[in-house]
Amino acid sequence: MGGNSPCASCKLLRRRCAKDCIFSPFFPSDEPHKFAIVHKVFGASNVSKMLQELPFQQRADAVSSLVYEANARMRDPVYGCVGAISYLQNQVTQLQMQLAVAQAEILCIQMQQEAAGLTSHAMEADEKSFLFNGGLAGVPQFMSFGSSSNVAQDPPKKESLWT
Amino acid sequence: MSNSTRCAACRYLRRRCTEDCVLAPYFPSTHPDRFACVHRIFGASNVCRMLQLVPVEQRGQAADSIAYEAYWRMRDPVYGCVGIITRLQQEIQATQRELAETRALVAMNATEDARQREMPAAWDLVSFPADDFHQPPPSLT
Repeated sequence: MGGNSPCASCKLLRRRCAKDCIFSPFFPSDEPHKFAIVHKVFGASNVSKMLQELPFQQRADAVSSLVYEANARMRDPVYGCVGAISYLQNQVTQLQMQLAVAQAEILCIQMQQEAAGLTSHAMEADEKSFLFNGGLAGVPQFMSFGSSSNVAQDPPKKESLWT
Repeated sequence: MSNSTRCAACRYLRRRCTEDCVLAPYFPSTHPDRFACVHRIFGASNVCRMLQLVPVEQRGQAADSIAYEAYWRMRDPVYGCVGIITRLQQEIQATQRELAETRALVAMNATEDARQREMPAAWDLVSFPADDFHQPPPSLT
């Protein structure tokens, strides 16, 4: 890097930071902890090999994921990132169970509504048959339209019907 | 320890496998690829150091998780097992959204169902107050 300050990795490793230093784009000198933790878990030479095997445009993402893994390993020396994966997998399982329960509830409600719909259609048909088949108890005879009287008969006088 | 009983780590590193080899219990000679993977990503000395930092009874789990991370880093050199974490987080968000939508639908259906139950039955509306009998039906002419 010439007259510029060395990157965080070269500073930690106490070496001259070359212009083509593979670490310098990703481990700036103002973030020393980033390289320190990656070096502690993976080792500088391993990180260098991993970055060299990747196209340049993917190296930033690779460094971010390495830093994440290294941090996770430092926080949890037994499980590292795998602890987070287990936790998230459990969450997914629980959510899927809750979703299955909610979907079953929807099905139940829909089935109830369909059953109620069928019942009400059957009851409407019964009501109509009730109304048009002389089922009105207490209605005077002169109001029943189903009589068998001959049309030639004189119609009843209005006043006698309605007074 | 003779060559035939060296652990996978010592065989890979071409060194004598001592009786107190830290790596031998977790990298048996029957699974050479496991150590090769771990060595490529973490390095033998780092793995030794990481195992020595945890109690003996937890070293087996630590070795398994280190091997798991190394395996996924080999499979996905850019994201490693962080890619799995990202996918799981996305799946959780999608499932939470779907759960919220489904629950809203349940609540809506339950409300509609309760509303329909409260409405009077159709036959209750078919009633003829007594006064109506004194009114001529419109069709009687």
